[in-house]
Formats: sequence, C-alpha cells, structure tokens
Amino acid sequence: MKNKLLYIFLFAFSIGLFSACEDNLEAELETALDASTGFKTKQDVDAALLGCYNAIQSGNYYGLRFWALTDIYAGSLTHTGTFPSFAQFANRSLLADNTEIVNMWNSIYVGVNRTNNVIASAETVEDPSFNKNNAIGEARFLRAFHYFNLLYLFGGTPNGFNQSGGVGVPIFSTPTLSAENATPKARSTEAEVWSFLLEDLNFAVANLNESNGIGRVNKNTANALKARIHLARREWADAEAAANAVITSNKYTLLTGANYANMYLSKNSTETIWELQFDANNTNSIAFFYYPTANGGRNEVTSSTTLKNLHETGDLRLPVNVTTGTPANKTLKYTRVAGEDNVQIIRLAEMYLIRAEAAAQQNKADAALADLNVIRNRAGLGALAITDSKELAIAILKERVIEFAHEGLRWFDIRRTGDFASVGITQDFRALLPIPQREVDTAAGVVAQNTGY
Amino acid sequence: MKHFLVLIGLLLCSISATLAQQNVAGKVTDANGEPLIGATILATGTSTGVIADVNGVFSLENLPASVSSIEVSYTGYKKQTISLTGVNYYDIILEISEELLDDVVVIGYGTASRKELTGSVSKVNGETISRLPVTGLDQALQGQAAGVFVTTSSGTPGSSVALRIRGIASITGSSQPLYVIDGVPINSGSYSQLGFGNQTTNALADLNPADVESIEVLKDASSAAIYGSRASNGVVLITTKRGKNKQTTVSLNTYYGNQEVWNTIPTTTGPEYVALIQEGIVNRFGAGRLPSQSNLRNLDNDPSTYPTTDWQKEIFQTAPISQTDLSFAGGDEKTKFYVSGSYFTQDGTIKGSSFNRYSFRTNLENLVSERLKFGLNTSFSRSNSNRINNDNNINGVLSTAILLGSHIPIFNADGTYGKDANSSVENPVAAYKEPTNENFSNRLLSSIYGEYTILDGLTFRTSVNVDYIYFREFRFSPTTTNTGAGTNGTGNEAFNAELNLINENYFSYAKNFGKFGINALVGASFQNSQQEFFFGQGENFPGNTIKTLNAASVKRDVTSGRTEWGLNSYYSRLVMNWDQKYYLSGSVRYDGSSRFGENNRWGVFPAVSGAWRISEESFLRDNKIISELKIKAGWGLRGNQEIGNFSSRALISAGTNYLQRAGLSPTQLGNPDLTWEEREDIDLGLEIALFDSRIELLTELYRGTTRELLLNRPLVGSSGFTGITENIGSIRNEGMDITFRTLNINKEKFTWSTSLNLSFFRNEIETLAGTPFAAGFASWVEEGQPLGAFRGYEVVKVFQTQAEIDALNATAKERTGSTTAVYQSTLTRPGDLMFLDINSDGVITSADQKILGDANADFFGGITNNISAFGFDLSFFFQFSVGNNVYNNTNAFAEGMNGTFGQFASVKNRWTPENPTENIRYPRAVFGDPNNNRRASNRFLEDGSYLRLKNISLGYRLPKSVLSKLHINNARFYVTGQNLLTFTEYSGFDPEVSTFAVTNTAPGTDFLTFPQARVMIAGLNLEF
Repeated sequence: MKNKLLYIFLFAFSIGLFSACEDNLEAELETALDASTGFKTKQDVDAALLGCYNAIQSGNYYGLRFWALTDIYAGSLTHTGTFPSFAQFANRSLLADNTEIVNMWNSIYVGVNRTNNVIASAETVEDPSFNKNNAIGEARFLRAFHYFNLLYLFGGTPNGFNQSGGVGVPIFSTPTLSAENATPKARSTEAEVWSFLLEDLNFAVANLNESNGIGRVNKNTANALKARIHLARREWADAEAAANAVITSNKYTLLTGANYANMYLSKNSTETIWELQFDANNTNSIAFFYYPTANGGRNEVTSSTTLKNLHETGDLRLPVNVTTGTPANKTLKYTRVAGEDNVQIIRLAEMYLIRAEAAAQQNKADAALADLNVIRNRAGLGALAITDSKELAIAILKERVIEFAHEGLRWFDIRRTGDFASVGITQDFRALLPIPQREVDTAAGVVAQNTGY
Repeated sequence: MKHFLVLIGLLLCSISATLAQQNVAGKVTDANGEPLIGATILATGTSTGVIADVNGVFSLENLPASVSSIEVSYTGYKKQTISLTGVNYYDIILEISEELLDDVVVIGYGTASRKELTGSVSKVNGETISRLPVTGLDQALQGQAAGVFVTTSSGTPGSSVALRIRGIASITGSSQPLYVIDGVPINSGSYSQLGFGNQTTNALADLNPADVESIEVLKDASSAAIYGSRASNGVVLITTKRGKNKQTTVSLNTYYGNQEVWNTIPTTTGPEYVALIQEGIVNRFGAGRLPSQSNLRNLDNDPSTYPTTDWQKEIFQTAPISQTDLSFAGGDEKTKFYVSGSYFTQDGTIKGSSFNRYSFRTNLENLVSERLKFGLNTSFSRSNSNRINNDNNINGVLSTAILLGSHIPIFNADGTYGKDANSSVENPVAAYKEPTNENFSNRLLSSIYGEYTILDGLTFRTSVNVDYIYFREFRFSPTTTNTGAGTNGTGNEAFNAELNLINENYFSYAKNFGKFGINALVGASFQNSQQEFFFGQGENFPGNTIKTLNAASVKRDVTSGRTEWGLNSYYSRLVMNWDQKYYLSGSVRYDGSSRFGENNRWGVFPAVSGAWRISEESFLRDNKIISELKIKAGWGLRGNQEIGNFSSRALISAGTNYLQRAGLSPTQLGNPDLTWEEREDIDLGLEIALFDSRIELLTELYRGTTRELLLNRPLVGSSGFTGITENIGSIRNEGMDITFRTLNINKEKFTWSTSLNLSFFRNEIETLAGTPFAAGFASWVEEGQPLGAFRGYEVVKVFQTQAEIDALNATAKERTGSTTAVYQSTLTRPGDLMFLDINSDGVITSADQKILGDANADFFGGITNNISAFGFDLSFFFQFSVGNNVYNNTNAFAEGMNGTFGQFASVKNRWTPENPTENIRYPRAVFGDPNNNRRASNRFLEDGSYLRLKNISLGYRLPKSVLSKLHINNARFYVTGQNLLTFTEYSGFDPEVSTFAVTNTAPGTDFLTFPQARVMIAGLNLEF
C-alpha cells in the first residue's frame, strides 16, 4: 500500500511538472520589446524620437567621425594617431573597404530607419493629447537631415551639387521590419534625393513647433537646415531667405568677445540653433580622440598647422581652435575627456555667413559685407571693406574655415564649391567618398559604386 | 506477481523443458560480501536465466538435468561459470573485472556494458583526473581521449578551456560540448561581464575533480543524439562518486606543489632598446634625426645611459598550488552515502592572479522498499579568483611586460611608477599590484530523484534538478593606474546569476527473452533557465581607499536585465541484441526550444546504430588469440541550440537615450524561421582485443556535416540593418580516432600498460553567407577552407639593395600604366621585406594575400604508460600535436621594430647594412614601418607542433603489512610533475596557446597570452 501511494505521488508530481511546463517555450522578453508590440502610444513615439536623436550621436556620425574625418580630409585636422582607416583620409587614398566609410554609411542609415519607424507609427497613434504633426515633423526633419548628409558625402558631382548628372543614394522611405524590406535598392539620382528630402523638410517647416526644448529641432532649425541646403544647391535667394528667417526670428544671439569661448566651455548658449546633447550617461569619445595619452586620450587627431596659420592676429577664435597650453594644438571646442562635450550642428554664425555668401553671389555686396563683419567683429577682428562680390565670396569662405573648424563644414564648402585643389586633392573622383564596398558587394550589383573607386 | 512477466518470458523460452529437472539457488556477492543486485544467472547452453534480487539471491527452478553449469555475470565484474555439483545453494563471489576496457560505461540516460556499445564513448577514470594538478575537470581531459581536443587558452588560474569533440561543428554558435553531471545538464562557459583582454572564466572550474568517479565522452552521433538539440558538439557525462554498501571509508587526499613559468623570452636591454629606436628614426627620417624631432620624448640621450628592467622577471613568480579533500563513503543495505569536502588553491605564475575553491558534496540514496529508491545529489562550491588583465590589453600584466620598453624603470625617482611617455602601455608592476579584480562564484548543484521498479526490468525514474550560479565581479582601478588616472578611480561591480531547473522523467525497460535482449527507454524532460545580471560603473572616488560604488561621485553606467529560455524534450531509445552478437540501437529525441522561431521551434533528432561482435560467432568464440572483434556503424542527427535567447525575435531595444530620457529603437530583425544548427554524421568503428584483452585497438572513422549553420546574412546597410541571423552555411568534419592499449606486463607484483590515442581530423567550410571574412589577427573564414585557416602575404626576402626595389617599381609602373605606381611603398628601402606579388599585377595589394596555413593539427594525441611494481606506481603521459600553425601576433609587436613597444632580444639579429641577413623575421628597424613589414604574413606564422611530457607521476603504496599495523586501509605517497619537458620549434612562450579560445573562427593565435606553468607537486592519499 505504501508503495502504491508513493508511486501515485511520484506520478502526480511529475505530471504536475509536465503541465507547469506548457508555456516553457514562450520565453519572456524582459530587456527589450518585441517589435510587434512597439510604438503604439504617444510615449512610445516620443521614446522612438529620442532614439532618432540618439542615432545622430553615434561615434560614426556627429559623435565624432562624420565631421572629424571630413575635417581630416579637408586638412583642418592632422591625423596623429594609429588608425590606418583614419590615415587613408589623411593621405587622400581612401579605399572603398575603409571601415570608417562603412560605419558612417551604416550609421546614417540606421538613423534613416529610426525616423521611418517614427513616421509610420506616429500616423497610427490616435490620442488627442498627441501633437502628431510636430512629432512627424521632427522625424521628417531628421530624415531630411540624414539624406542631405548622405548626399553631401556620397552624392552629387565633383563640381558640386544640383548639377547635371549628379548621383544620389538609395532611398528607404518606409521602416525595415523584415528581411524582405531590406532588399537592396538602387541608388536614386541626386535630383530624386533632393526632391524627397525637400518634401520632408518643407513639411517640417510647416508643422514643427516654434520650440521643442533644448537639443531638439524646431521650425527655426528646419529653416536653418534649409538655408544650408539651398547654399549647397546654389539657390542663393532661397538660401538667403531661409537664413534671414532664422536671424530675424530673434531667438538667437551671437556670443561676443570673452563670451565667445563659452559657447563650448558651457553648453547651450544663445547662439545655438541645434546642439547635440551629451551628458555623463550619454557620452562621446571626441575629446578622448583629441587628447594625448598623458591627459587620458588617444591623440588620434590634432589641429593642423594650415588651420592655425589661417587665423589673423588677434582672432579670438585662435585659442579656441588651436590650443597653446596643455594639451597643445587641440581645441577648446572639445575638452571633456569623459565624453560630455556637446556638438554644434547648426548655430547662428552659420546663418550670418550663409546670408552673406548668398548675398555676395547675388552681387549684393553691401549686405554680404555687413553680415561678414558681424562675424569678424565678434571674433575681435576689424571690419573688412571689400566691395567686390567675388572677393567677398572668397573672404566669406575663408571666414567659414576658421569659424567652423572642428565642426565639419570645411569639406562641405569644398564639395559645394569644387575647390579640391586648395586641399591638395588632385583626382576628381575623390570629391565623392566611395560607396562602402560592403554595400556594393551585399547589394550584388544593385548599388553602383562611385566612379573611380 | 513479482516475477510474473519474467516467468512468462522464461516459460516461453524453456518450452523444451524435459522431465528430469533440477532446482538451483544461491547468492551473488562481491568480494566484500555485498550483494550484487541484478546480476544475471544463466543456465549454460540454454536461454533460461534470472536476475539476482536486492539481496543478491536468485533461484532457477526446473532446469533440465542436462544443465551442468551456470554462468553468472554482472557488469563491471568478471563472468564466472559455476559447475553444478548437485547442491542446491551456491554462494558466488564475483571479482571486479580488471580488463583494460572498463566494462560499464555511462551513456545518456543509463549505463551500458562496453561490449554492447554501438556508438563511440570514451571513458576517463576519476582517479586519473583527481591526480592532476589542474583547476577544472575539463582541463584534466586533455590528451586522455581520442577525438577530444582540449585547449587551455592560457595559464590564468580558472580561465576558459576549449574542448572540441571531433572537430568544430559551428562557426558562430558554441562549439563546447554539453556537460551532464549525474544525468543533469549543467551550465558551462563564462559568466564574466568585465573585459580582461580575451580571457574569460570557466563555470566548470566550480566543480571539484576529486568528486568524480568517471567521465564519459559521447563522441559520435548515435550515442550523443539522445541529447538532441544540444548534442552537436558531443556530450560529456560526469558521474560523481557514490557510497557503497559496506563499512564507511574515510579518504584523505592532499597535494601541494609549486608552479613556475617554464620559458621566458629574452628582451633587449634598455640601451639596446633605445639604440634601436634611434636607428629606426634615422632609417625613417634620415641621418642626424633625433627621436624628439618626431615627437618621441626622453629617447635622445646616449643609449648606454639608460637603465634596464627585466619586466618578465618582475611579473613572473613561483606560485603554490594545493588541494585537500576529505570524503566519507559507506552505507548499509538501505542507505548509501558519499560526503566530501575539498579545498583547492592556486596562485598564478603571473603575480596578481589566483584562484581558490572550496566545495562540498553529499550523495545520498535510500531504498524505501524493494521497488522504490530515493536519492539526493547535491554540491555547493565557492570559487574566488583574483584576475589580471591579459592578452590583447594595454593594461595586461604580461602584455605590458612585453610591450613596455626595458629602458623604463619600475619606479621613478619620486616613487611613482615608471611609464613610457611615448605609449599608453601600463607599467607591468602597477598592472598587477594596483587594480583590484576580484570575482567569486557560488554554485549549487542539486538533484533529487526517485526510482520505482514497476515490474522487473521496468523502472520509472523522475528527478528535479537545480543548477544555480551566482557570479560576482568587483573591479577597482585606482588613480595609480592609467585607467583610473583620468577618472580619479574607476570601479565596476557586476553580477550574473543563472538558475536552471530541470525535470527529467523516464521509463526504462531491460529484459532478455532467451537470446533476444531488449533495452528500451522513453522519457521527457523540461528545462527552464533564468538569467539575471547587473553591471554598474562609477568614477571619481575619494582617493583609493574606498573602492565600492557608493563612493563614486559619478555613476557612469548601470545596467541590468533578465533573460530566460526553455527546452521541452521527449526522447526514446530502443537497443536490441541477439545472443550478444548482433546489436541494433535506435533513438529519437524531439526537442522544442524557446530560442527558435515559432515556425521552426520543434526538431527531431533520430539516430540508428548497430554492432556485430564477430568474436561471439562460433568460429571465433573459442579463439585463443582474438578475445574481442567488433564492427559497428552509426548514423545520427544532432542539433545546436547555443545561440542567443532571442535571436529569432524582432526587437526594439531600450538604451538609445537622449536628453537623459529613455529612447527606444529597432535593433534586430526577426526571423520566425530560425532553427537549430543540425549535424549529421556517419560513424564506423572497429574494435579488436587480442590475447585475453591484453592488446586492444579501437579505430573509429567519422564524417559529419553541420548544416543550417547560424550565420549573419549581410544586409545592405541602407536598410538600417547590417544583417539577419539565418540558417545558412555548412561545415564538414571528418576524421579518424585511434585508441591502442596494451597490457605489456601483467604479473602479480609488476604490471605495465601503455595507452596511445591518436586523432586525425579535417574540417572544411562548405557554405558561407556572403563573402569570406577575417577574424582574429590573421584568421580567415572562407568556403573551401578549414575553420582556423590563416591568410596573409608571403614574404619573398629582405631587400638588400635599392636597385632591386627600383627594378620592381619600374615594373609596377609598366604593368599598371601609372607613373606613380610603386611595388609596395614609396618608402620601401633596403632592409624592408619584399612580399610576393601573387596576381603578378606589379603592385602589392590586398589581392596578394593567400591562405598560409591553418591552426588544425594533422594529428594530435597522447601516450600514457602506467607501471606498477612492488608498491610503486609510475605513470608518464606525453601529449603531442603535429602540423598545426600558430600565428604569433606577439612577435608582430615585440619584433615589430616600428614604434615604441618593448622588443625581444631576437631583433638584435635584424637587418642592417652591416648585417645584411636575409632572415625574413628580422628586417630593418624603421619608425612607423612605412613598408608595413608587420602586415599579416608568413613572417609571424609558425609551426606549433610540440611533444610535451604533460604529466609524470611516481607513487608508493605502503604494503598491507604496514597498513594493518597503522589501522589504515591504504596509503599512497606520490610526486607529480606537469609540463616538465616540451619539445617544440615554436618561438613564443608556449605552443599550447589560444588567445581566442572561446571563438571558433580564430584558433591557434598567440597574442601576449599567459603561458602554461610547469608544476611539481607532492601528494598523499590515505584511506581509513
């Protein structure tokens, strides 16, 4: 009897366990969301939007390489480190399999996909308290920004942008949710990419709030990006109008005199239009890449002598652009080795110089000179008195080299003006970076390589 | 009722019973008088037989009068034939079988006699393992079994061990076998979350080797497939010691010894080093150039004024190792127990590293009734280790001892650590002394089981098992280290806990119906694993005294998470034999895993195998020479589920934050079709034993293909994703395992046996996703190549004159049509290396690389001799590996002569105009290495073959006469030496090396890896 009872007990025990294990195969995902349940509420969409901004912070994007490598390519930075992939930029001998190229390309497209997700899911959120158009506006602004950055690096022509025969990049306009969605797409033409991104940007201008708080984009940011884009497209009147809209919004003021360096030493100054926010919990390795090992860095990049020598005597920007103390030949724009430096993406000075250049290109020398001198004055330099529009345009470009050192606009200027000789690039095809070899290989013939690589 | 079925069976088979009959009864015991429950008693020449009951008692009734003897057998004991002398009751004492092949082997969900095995199982005795001065039992398997390749990744105490059974069956998944202790699958691998270079921890180091009775390695498909989706890399079954039904014995085993590095590599002196740098600067920038003109500090002075530090001497130490374990084993008819406690401690041969472990085990079993048994196996262990950074790490102890120039003093005049202003390499003494790197592991393994005999031969067993690991890490890098200097101290704390719950239930049935024997199994198992982890990092400490995170003013990083997986399994096996001559075995397992896509969650893993014992045929049965001749063949499918828990799901992850607010973003594409990697093998085997099993030869051939390999299929980056995990890819493994054993001398007072195992294997990647890819430093994964292939440039020679270079540059211009083309570099000069232009296009490009060799040995194995004579026992074990390459990336730095890293003394033989050597290993010294002499090439690829006296042990057992006076059963003293002799051409510290031990794609790479130690221990085994 005793045995029988035990036997029954044993069986019951096991059966109990059997049934307890029915859902054993449905492992619960606790550290992430299943994609099928994501982005359903306004909170989800806002978190996803923050994820979109986070994409820009990648070390392969505005978190360092996107602007630092182009500054190396354009000669404003010297490569003093050990990465062979950086050396290829310094030597102007870029190969299509350069790992930085792959990483930049992939990181920008990660950003594109995040915005696509937000745009698609925000449409489905029905919540009266949700400012849908502003959210979609932010996402579409960022998508336009990504495609613009892609064109700037990989598209256009060696003679600049908005010229005939310009090449573009593949356009992914919907979220990639499955392997099928990731089927390679051929490169659109430059014109197609422009029209796609301008549609996004116009939507953003029309729908974005006047302010979305620090570090996020708003109507003025959208106008500022428009100004930059029209400048690239040599649409001077449009560029002038967009820059003017930002300046006359009176939301921003230039930092002058001793305050100038505070733009970088403190954060979120009045000059900032869009400043990418880093903090102790969300860091970059910019200063780490600049600083020597003795100061806790890896000494990968240093301000170039070319950059240093461009400065006029008394330029307040010189000690910021090229440090003299310890560490020497670095920049005050990035000083937080722990990685908390913000990155300026667009600021008011650029609007003045865009308006100036656009004016000069339209032979409005007076207006151009006035804007140029605004920037010179605040840098502690005397006013220029140039009256020739062509000379003015040249002066403005030189001013931009100094003003936007370490901010990645130097290569942009070279791209849009086609002035490669000034930085020692003799092979035309090097105007466009190579499409990553990995992309070309993976696409198996669908994505064409840029000429020359 | 009790023997109802048996009786029916027997009756059916003994239909020929004649009128004249006899009854025979008796008791079967071992030499100690303990009953041998389940011993088989067979009337000779008939098919009539019974099995001894729990008291060892049997009775055979109504035997034909013609039966003149009975055969009594019991696995593990010598078979006896008892002549029937007319009495009715026989006391039969069986002696333990001392055949070289251990008769009983543990297999998946049961045991089997070796003779009836149709698959491939290697057995290693616990005694062999517990005598070795090693941290973990996986290490102890090295060289012990054919087809089992064990790489101890480094000499770090408690570090990871790579165990590969019959090749490497996966590329991205795990290649480690499934470990099963007393029938319960356990966790293995590393639980560490902090980076220490490449080395990881090893959860198997939590187990006490002294508790092990035996280890069986299930090598082929047919024996391992019963473990289904986790069996593709083979299965290691560990059986712990149990109590026996006899008087309690107390065993005390202890050893103590010292370890030291057997090999150091001479380095340049301080003056030689500085001279080399100065020479390199001049070679690059021209005569008269000073290092300071190239931003190198403190190197301009007369070389002879610099001091010399022998860094290796500073970091290596003679380190103690010891283990003591005490166990009690015994029991009575109803209850048996084994209780043990053990303490193991080991310091590393590199200062700052140590490992210690204490562990306890209790194995209990109680016979509730004749039919019901309950038991508990439980062990707890705690392992503590102090780790050091190592391998690929500029803060590692050995790595800095090699990479920091010898011209740097240990301390500066002001008492701070000497550091090289020109490099970020840490001071080696600071590297071992300053940081705190402690971790511990608490490990509980517990299993409660019940076994009920429903009918004779039919039992049901159920068990509930727990494997719990709590792994904790603590790190502090004070301001005296490079890591902590910039942050005012950096601290990390982490834990990783995993709880595995397993419920196993199975029915087993064993019965002989005359000559037809059957052994059947059907069962189900449910496993659930829950893992949780935490990681925190803080910076800015108030000095270096308070090291815990509460003192950090900046909490840099905190993360935690939970994850789980589940596995439901149903399995069955049927083994049949006819007259112990023909065996046929079939098994199937049906596994469902939460890790796989919902479309492919369940998998079926069948296997069949058969064996023919030719020696049991009448024409060989009484052959005096051949005692065993068996051929066997098997086929089976096995799976590998060792991928991430959620690889099949489309994921949106947290952590993409901005503005100190939480962000979300898509991070992984789902693949609902994701399923197991599947390995299909065919195995053939031949077993021969001659002269009463004094000579045995076991040859096994296997050929297997793993398909559905989980690989990351590259996607276009423009999609926002770079890849998706899919079942693509296949890899083939084939090889031959040979085990050859001889009992050379078998006298009462003198025995000598030899055992040789040899393994040959080849592996080839058949299909990959996308393009070939690089791994490690020079490893290359490509279709048609073995996993472990090395790829790079081939050095032709050292350029001796500028004319040679000019001629090649001229050809380059001509072939490319470019006026600026050069063969290698515009800065190539005499003394630089010339690489081979494989595609003859006149210039050296990445296309001029080729496969240079591979890390796989042509063959490897071990040879052991055991001699025992007059109380002494001597065993020596050689281990060898032949034909494998090692990529010595250490030399790419320490013989690089390109910058500010420490240099081996060998570079004194470098090319200079005065020493125009053509030795490709030592081109000229040139700062910055513009010709890239250091590129991955055959310059750094070496023959890694070696023969090593892995272990030699001499023991003495006190004679019985002395023992009885001392009232002890057994006393043995021994000394053991490990790694005493190594014969190799390899130039690094140790040919037994694998920096990337846990990866499949880059084996056989040496990069600043902690070498194996030479160990000498003395020990004592006592039994009361």
